[in-house]
Amino acid sequence: MAEWPTNRKYISGNVKRVDAAPKVTGKARYSSDIQANGWLYGMILRSKWPAAKILSVNLDKALKVPGIKAAVVARDGQFTVRYYGEEIAAVAGSSKQACLDALRAIEVNAQPSAGFVVHEDDGLKQDSPQVWEGTPNAGDPHVRNRGDMDSAFSECAAVIEGFYTSPVQIHNPMETHGNTVSWTDEGVTAWASTQGIGSVQDGFSGALGVDRSKVRVITDYMGGGFGSKFGPGVEGLLAAQLSKKAGAPVRLMLTRFDEALAVGNRPSSFQKIKMGALADGKLHAFQFENYGTAGIGAGADRGGGGGGVNIPAPYLYKVTNIHASQRGVAVNAGSARAFRAPGNPPASFGMECAMDDLAVKLGMDPVQFRLINDPVEIRRNEYKVGAAAIGWKDKYKKPGSSPGVVKTGIGCAGANWGGGRGSPDTQGEAQINPDGSIEIRIGVQDIGTGTKTVIAVVAAEMLGLKPEQITVKVGDTNFPPGPGSGGSATCASVSPVTFDICSNALQQLQSKSGIADARGDNWFAACKSLGVTPLKVTGQWQESLAGGPAYGVQFAEVEVDTETGLVTVKKIVAVHDCGLIIDRLTLESQINGGCIIGMGYALYEERVMDRVSGVVLNPNFETYKLSGIADVPEIEAILINMPERGVIGIGEPATIPTAGAIANAVANAIGVRVPNLPITPAKVLAALGKVPPITA
Amino acid sequence: MKKPEKETFGAVSRRTFIKGLGATAITTVAAQTAAVAQELEKANAEKVVGPGAVPVSLTVNGEKLQLQLEPRVTLLDALRNYSSLTGSKEGCDRAACGACTVLFDGAPIYSCQKLAIEAQGHEITTVEGLAKNGTLSKVQQAFIDKDALQCGYCTPGFVMSVTALLNKNPRPTLEEAKHACSGNLCRCGTHPHVIKAIFEAAGISVADKTKVIKYG
Amino acid sequence: MNTFQYATALSPDSARQLAGDHGAYIAGGNDLLGLLKDYLVSPDILVNIKSLPGLDTIQQGQDKWTLGALVKIAELEDSIDIQSVFPGIRDAASEIASPQIRNVATVGGNLAQHSRCWYFRHRDTVCLKKGGDLCYARESDNRYHCLFTGNTCISPVVSSLATTFAALDATAIVLRDGKETPMSMDALYHRAWENPLAHNSLEPGDLIVRVDIPTARSRSAYMQVSDKHAFDWALVSCAAAANIVGGKLDKPRVAVGSISPVPHQVEAANEFLDGKTLDDDTASQAADMILKDAKPLQQNAYKVPMAHALIRRTLLKLKG
Repeated sequence: MAEWPTNRKYISGNVKRVDAAPKVTGKARYSSDIQANGWLYGMILRSKWPAAKILSVNLDKALKVPGIKAAVVARDGQFTVRYYGEEIAAVAGSSKQACLDALRAIEVNAQPSAGFVVHEDDGLKQDSPQVWEGTPNAGDPHVRNRGDMDSAFSECAAVIEGFYTSPVQIHNPMETHGNTVSWTDEGVTAWASTQGIGSVQDGFSGALGVDRSKVRVITDYMGGGFGSKFGPGVEGLLAAQLSKKAGAPVRLMLTRFDEALAVGNRPSSFQKIKMGALADGKLHAFQFENYGTAGIGAGADRGGGGGGVNIPAPYLYKVTNIHASQRGVAVNAGSARAFRAPGNPPASFGMECAMDDLAVKLGMDPVQFRLINDPVEIRRNEYKVGAAAIGWKDKYKKPGSSPGVVKTGIGCAGANWGGGRGSPDTQGEAQINPDGSIEIRIGVQDIGTGTKTVIAVVAAEMLGLKPEQITVKVGDTNFPPGPGSGGSATCASVSPVTFDICSNALQQLQSKSGIADARGDNWFAACKSLGVTPLKVTGQWQESLAGGPAYGVQFAEVEVDTETGLVTVKKIVAVHDCGLIIDRLTLESQINGGCIIGMGYALYEERVMDRVSGVVLNPNFETYKLSGIADVPEIEAILINMPERGVIGIGEPATIPTAGAIANAVANAIGVRVPNLPITPAKVLAALGKVPPITA
Repeated sequence: MKKPEKETFGAVSRRTFIKGLGATAITTVAAQTAAVAQELEKANAEKVVGPGAVPVSLTVNGEKLQLQLEPRVTLLDALRNYSSLTGSKEGCDRAACGACTVLFDGAPIYSCQKLAIEAQGHEITTVEGLAKNGTLSKVQQAFIDKDALQCGYCTPGFVMSVTALLNKNPRPTLEEAKHACSGNLCRCGTHPHVIKAIFEAAGISVADKTKVIKYG
Repeated sequence: MNTFQYATALSPDSARQLAGDHGAYIAGGNDLLGLLKDYLVSPDILVNIKSLPGLDTIQQGQDKWTLGALVKIAELEDSIDIQSVFPGIRDAASEIASPQIRNVATVGGNLAQHSRCWYFRHRDTVCLKKGGDLCYARESDNRYHCLFTGNTCISPVVSSLATTFAALDATAIVLRDGKETPMSMDALYHRAWENPLAHNSLEPGDLIVRVDIPTARSRSAYMQVSDKHAFDWALVSCAAAANIVGGKLDKPRVAVGSISPVPHQVEAANEFLDGKTLDDDTASQAADMILKDAKPLQQNAYKVPMAHALIRRTLLKLKG
């Protein structure tokens, strides 16, 4: 059974990202940078109606715009669009300007539907316009029951009720979605901004009817995905069609505007929680009703789509008596897609807010309350570590009791991520040359998490070389298949495979050269014995080297200006069990990233739909607000190194508890709960009772 | 895609203009790019060009780019799509994210919100122009050392903003560092490491707060 | 963007001529390019006014200082002299947008910028300001909108400099039909108060050439609150200017931004403050008077307590 070495030089150390130099010099080529020979610019025309029947699309005038080489419709014949921004047609031309002009020359004959609905509450109404004809917007609830709720609540020493809500969150990676695609008779080559080259290969092959062996997907660098970049997307298929028609590669990247409309989001949540505990602090009754929207992907027989509406509940804690009922409601908006820990941030937020509210009602310290109820020892340990790090004992005060206008408060929340285990289908190969150079190839992609670096670190460790001596190649479907970069499973997938590749390489080199230990100083001598023929080895995934699940808790310290409502996060303490840490530097980056997205979820981000026009009101970075450098607090990461658990994941655990911790810190500061994310100054002032009634 | 074309007739180009100035004027002129820009504008002034493509001459990283561009083409578009300088990125095309940040006579601007035709006569520096003879700049090296990047898409923009900051203020405070980078967005969450990189490049040591502990 | 011609003007007259009936001036271009990219405006020619002589300097004077309309926001932020004589201007400038924008944006452009209302800015909502029939904000999401207005449009003025200039009683000099036309901040935005189609009182061909700022008030301050800590439009902003003579306020002026199509000023409040000791109580009373007739909408009522706090704090900041 494979085992990680106990003496480690590079593993768990601070190894610099191996692909950092191309990124800081501008040499790295992303899908949006590809300038294939004779390439054309592609652009999509989108629906400006939230619901309409498209009767005809006339491309004639568009095709006459100088520079335009091809134009296609998104769907043949008449078709229905169900959200503002759904694809209608696309063009390809020799410049961005030609494409812009061509889009405006496309004539669309549309019959807007009688009605549309963009808000969850409206979608639930009996007389609401239906997103899918003949289907109610709201699906049948998923219900879970255990025990008797009425008697359970009567047995409780304290009961709280709350209505906690979280908004639709847009992924908004810095590089938009898109591909540069070349579709010729020889096949398809796509430089995809993707988290799953395999999924893009499958998608092109299936949709275009081209054999998989003739579809090559390349992702050297990509600018973030957070769950939304799997498959070629409608944009990829349109780019391919344009390429075929124009006889040239087409680079079709979405605009930032498009990102808010059509390429995924995190569903909203509207959580009614009634929860009670016994006098000894043990949770006893949990009544939960949740609804939310996954856009057109939610509803009666939609199953919630990718990254659906239903969230784990009760989150983290064991409760004796449970009634949990959840349903998705469809609205005329873009469909949801998995977004960094799907379902978990809203679940953590709702549950942890309820926990703090109940702790306060019980007169119990919130950390103590969690220690009584959290069934996971690792997480209990993390609460103790985090509480010490943030100074909980000294800083936790009765809610709202901090003096002055600017009030301070602290809060915490926990995470549970069942994923993080590796993908057993992952494979890899390496070529070792007589001069001692080694190239490892795995068909995985580095989405910014440091996958290439992880592979180099493991190989360096196993072979007794330096990470700089390992050439790592990823992001090509010509390589052995790797995992999609999702589920926080990538590190746990590629690390064992790299281990196995290296084990096999050493075994073969040792046998060929007669050198007992081919590592380190003996490496070059051993490789010389290869003569003139490079050695090719493969590697498989090893179950004993990876593990899961991953937990984590976070503490937040905030200041709230009770006159302006402004929330400032002063500090986050993130305590995460990390299994066997492969590379500390990139791991820390992942934790920072998770916290910062979590903070945005808590304080700044929401997709705003307009009820009157049905459009997305904030399809830009001006009014869809991401955490900025002036907002980001000190983040103290405490990594619990547990090598005996093997390699586990971190990307998603790191973003789960942040919003709950911040929301609890705010409630602790001002003494009253703001139960709706994002916690804007407006909401803080309202919670403090400072907002006058409407007169206009 | 459009290939850069040879310099053509029509508008007065920087080269023609400088030639006309005489030898001694050149060294003075080289040090006063703003003055040149102004003089150049005067020479071309009042002449209506476009809407079709016109010759546009850009000085990028010390080299001349001769392009044929419509007046509505932005500097970012010119760099990424009319030349091979794809280091500057398009994150929003609306002057909101900073991925397109370049230095314009040393000052950071959003190249997506600057018309290429208006960038003539100015010194444009992109991320590709920072390394000298293969040696990374202090800022670039600091970004690597402190892992101030993840997917890397926002990185060129941050590198340019930080380069400009340290050129102007070699020992910034934390507030000044944040202020200088407030026009750059990042989705992956590199901000804490960017701060570390700034202080590293400035030669100011900062304690590493991350702790690795054993379980139990 | 649609196509356009381009020319550089060397004099205000030629700028006017080159722009013709359907042209636009381009200075920093930040607002204009945003409008062009979303097809909100379609001038047939862009006239570069950055070469117009004499408009890009800060002139110091005994009774007044003059900011040329082409002075960049970054210059205001970096100027030690501005910091010392008009600290309110310096504070406002340092919070405008981001460094990249401040390096190209101009005083004139900041004053002349168009509405930031998200219905106005959206390519597919034809709101009242764009000639449509409906003020969407009134019917729908008005969280960023006005507490005061004289017409149906509820898009507020967002120029930080306008608010600060209002408190300093500055005058914008607008070249109109070849004549220098002085406008107070109130006059500069008055048409937006009355007319839903207007962003300000500028007419086609008008060119802001400079802003004259009296030195009569030796103290000034500016503050704003946004959702984020930087690079975020103000939810509410406030500027105040005055002297403090013998412990009492002299010539006080307060202006509030982002709550009205014009920088919101209430003369009665200024009069009340004149001659008073500046403390929490007087500041609070002034704030009450300034916000007395506010008409909160469904989503923007939070602006009332927020503005109240800002007015108090900005006034108290004058103490130094």
